[in-house]
Amino acid sequence: MLNRPTRISTSLLLILVLAPALVNAQTPATTGQATPAPPPETREEALRREREAKKERLEPYHPNGVEWTMNLLEKRVQPLMARDGFYARLGSLTTGSGLAYGVGFRNRRLFNRHGSGDVWVAGSLNHYWTIEGRLNVTPKPSGIVSIDAFVRRMNYPQEEFFGLGPDSRRPDRSDYRMHGTVAGAVATVRPARYFSFGGGADFLGVRLDPGTATELPNVQDLFDDLGVPGLALQPNYFQTGAFAQIDYRKPVNARKGGWYRVAFNRFADQGTGEYSFRRLDVEVRQYASVLAERRVFVVRGWVAMTEPDAGSRTPFYLMPALGGNDTLRGFRAYRFRGPNALLLQAEYRFEIWAGLDGALFYDTGKVTARRVDLNFRGLERDYGIGFRFNTDEGVIMRVDAAFGSRDGRHLHIVFGTLF
Amino acid sequence: MAGTSTSFSARCFRAVRRANLQVCQYVGQTFRFARLADLKVCPTYRTIAIVALLTATAGAQITPPRFYRDDPIWTDNDKLLDASKVGFIEDSNGYDFVINTFGKPGERRDVRALNVNTVDEVPDSSWFTNRIGRRPMSVEEIVRGPDQRTVVSLDGWIVSRGKPTGVQAGFRMKDPSGFTYQIEFDPPSNPEMATAAEVIGTAFYHAIGYHSVEVFLAELDPATLVIAPDAKIEDALLGEKRAMNLRDVEDVLRRGARQPNGKYRVLASRFAPGTPLGNFRYYGTRPDDPNDIVLHEHRRELRGARVFGAWLNHDDSRGVNSLDFLTADDGKKYVKHYMFDFGSILGSGTKFPQRHRAGNEYILEWAPGWLTLATVGVYVRPWMLISYPPVPASVGRFEGDYFDPLKWKPEYPNPAFENMRPDDAFWAARIVSKFSNEAIRAVVEKARYSNPIATAYVADTLIKRRDKVLTVWLAGVNPLVDFAIDANGDLTFANAAVDARVATPAASYRLTWARFDNATGATTRVGSEVTTREMRSRVPDELAASRVGDHIVLEVRAAHQSHAAWSIPVIAYFRREAGGWKLVGMSR
Repeated sequence: MLNRPTRISTSLLLILVLAPALVNAQTPATTGQATPAPPPETREEALRREREAKKERLEPYHPNGVEWTMNLLEKRVQPLMARDGFYARLGSLTTGSGLAYGVGFRNRRLFNRHGSGDVWVAGSLNHYWTIEGRLNVTPKPSGIVSIDAFVRRMNYPQEEFFGLGPDSRRPDRSDYRMHGTVAGAVATVRPARYFSFGGGADFLGVRLDPGTATELPNVQDLFDDLGVPGLALQPNYFQTGAFAQIDYRKPVNARKGGWYRVAFNRFADQGTGEYSFRRLDVEVRQYASVLAERRVFVVRGWVAMTEPDAGSRTPFYLMPALGGNDTLRGFRAYRFRGPNALLLQAEYRFEIWAGLDGALFYDTGKVTARRVDLNFRGLERDYGIGFRFNTDEGVIMRVDAAFGSRDGRHLHIVFGTLF
Repeated sequence: MAGTSTSFSARCFRAVRRANLQVCQYVGQTFRFARLADLKVCPTYRTIAIVALLTATAGAQITPPRFYRDDPIWTDNDKLLDASKVGFIEDSNGYDFVINTFGKPGERRDVRALNVNTVDEVPDSSWFTNRIGRRPMSVEEIVRGPDQRTVVSLDGWIVSRGKPTGVQAGFRMKDPSGFTYQIEFDPPSNPEMATAAEVIGTAFYHAIGYHSVEVFLAELDPATLVIAPDAKIEDALLGEKRAMNLRDVEDVLRRGARQPNGKYRVLASRFAPGTPLGNFRYYGTRPDDPNDIVLHEHRRELRGARVFGAWLNHDDSRGVNSLDFLTADDGKKYVKHYMFDFGSILGSGTKFPQRHRAGNEYILEWAPGWLTLATVGVYVRPWMLISYPPVPASVGRFEGDYFDPLKWKPEYPNPAFENMRPDDAFWAARIVSKFSNEAIRAVVEKARYSNPIATAYVADTLIKRRDKVLTVWLAGVNPLVDFAIDANGDLTFANAAVDARVATPAASYRLTWARFDNATGATTRVGSEVTTREMRSRVPDELAASRVGDHIVLEVRAAHQSHAAWSIPVIAYFRREAGGWKLVGMSR
């Protein structure tokens, strides 16, 4: 005899086992057929039955959540980012600004498609903000001349300062607010594919105020105008300059080639004339690659020299500076300032996956009070490792972790390229 | 087309097993129906199992025979049911990459392709039309491809709209009779490269059997361009459609390679007839197409496309480079599936030469990436060391010395490619073997490279790659083919690898004959094994006297010192018909 649970299970099992047969047996009655459909006699018939069965359960295609999102990004959001008119702006405003968000309006078909205009405003979590308008014109017929004009109103409230010269001290870290208006225009002539030169003029109306970082003293509290020129007075400047450039990098996010630039500028104090000076910048970037261009070696050299006019001084905030995500990465932004600066950087980049490079880097450099001190003695240095999310057109975002400096470790997360 | 439906007996078996497990769990016992020997410890269920088996056996009465009387079919009529209700499905590049790289779409199962006929071939369908694999094609026919004309002139054509998709510079034009063509240009850095790849790829893929659109090389004179008054373009900067103007055309021309005579060499691709339905996928089926009943990842022509992709370096073999069209035929509407966009094959990456990685590694492949990271780049991927010979820019980056068919990869995983089995690869390789050196050279000449060095290099490289493909995939399995028994009972067969000159003949062949019961699938061996050095034999006398409708089966193993896989038998099934023996089944 079966016990009760077993009887139940047996009944249940029999029902389950025989259910398909019972269902099949009932089907003809419900459909009005006298007998079950005979088995197909041909392959063609078997396939036809399968198709007819599918016909009974057709349904429209519904994308899943991932697909819906990807389609939205690719077909709706991405075109919005690329289009003219209003657009979202994301990135850094200046070294140390932090990530900034903003909105812009652009038109790349001005002047019968020979020009473009862009107006944008962006602000960062560090309360940096910028409003900028920019116009580019490349007149026909040759297209070798282009003119860029811009006007910018900015507020950089936490610019750091540690003192002038190579011996500045980290405990002297202080900040100031730089704000004002800059406007200018530059004409570029490109007589050959890789060579261009040009010149332009800018108006600089920049003022300094106490910085807003509560944890830092104001620069005026630690320094005075005697040791730090420009601290007491910030004149308006009329800047004129010229440059020449050779650029044969390939591709835009370079794996080979070079970029060389020489720029000379004169800053004319429009007030007392006490702060007029000249500045020369020379920069070289050289790229070499091996292993199908998946290993890239880059060196960058930059020298900047300023020379005040007779009886004048160079204001500290227009002096070359080192430190931060794009120069000496093992130091805070603007850690070193001086009339002259020397920077040497080397990177070894290795492709991890398409779109992601790793990098080992070494930075060294210094600022000097005198031009004769621009040599390889007493250089600050750091080294580190980084990652670059990139395309052939440029670096979208990079992460650099720097070590080995006398100021400790630093991590930089930056939108955009370095060199 | 075996195996596409679930048999009644299989359904019963599953029902029994489910029920059995449920009941046993209910009474606090656990055993699995699959372990029939365990039934003795649970006598109650032995009775139940017997009932279940009887039910299943009852189902077996309607289990289809292995061979229907119309086997092997050579046409799968997948135009049968009206498909006019199908909708538009267009994958985004991003989704196609993400789902195939980070997911495992489709069914990954080591199962014979589900759309092959009983002789292991692909029937004609809306996906594929047997051409060079089933019948001789003249070189002229191969070169002509799908084209209905040999030359097109753009005189009198008008620009009808912008090109809405794809990375290649171009626009659309209408010929004087109103047919629409897509016009595409070569990149300025690599004149002739992408257009040549399109022409060559189209001719090969058409001869193989895929549906592809007509493509023509033409010369475009910018001075004679006329824009239709109603021409529209999707303006990327405006983010909307607007009237097309001369500047839009100039923008395209700026991105195209200009010839010394001031004109442009362009590719004119004629639109397929019908309504575009977007892309097909290499997995699943269209839920809205009643004719689409075979999972795409189990379609042989899609699995075997891996072989063709490797040969031609079609690293862009992915869903977004396919097109479905709603096509009318005899008043019925059905979905016709096209392979298109061959701009990124051979050495062409469409806008630039193929990247070094192309064909050697997926865009995102974890292991080499982690290795590179862990070793800060000291680890070197093998493909980084490939030395490409100095060739004209029109060739791009293409080579045959380093190429290893087994290691070749498309841009990212393809479900059908990953399901490819040796029999799929053999089927495809056999088609590749039909392309003679002469045919390959003629197809490459169709691309009209201005530099004869480019023509010779591309053809030589294709020949080199073809031979590697055949060595790996044709000789990699037992390659015996073309089994036939004549009216006298004489059996003949051939060796595809030997015919393709990628292997030497086998030392001997061992044949085993049997009767085959088509209803039950039972085989009854007849006689002893026969060993022969020639690819011929005779049907045993016991079988020669078979009646019409009887089936026999033959297993043939080949012995070859260098090819151990040849000892795995090829199995051929024959049916006695009024006119003699007919080959009805093959498996390898």
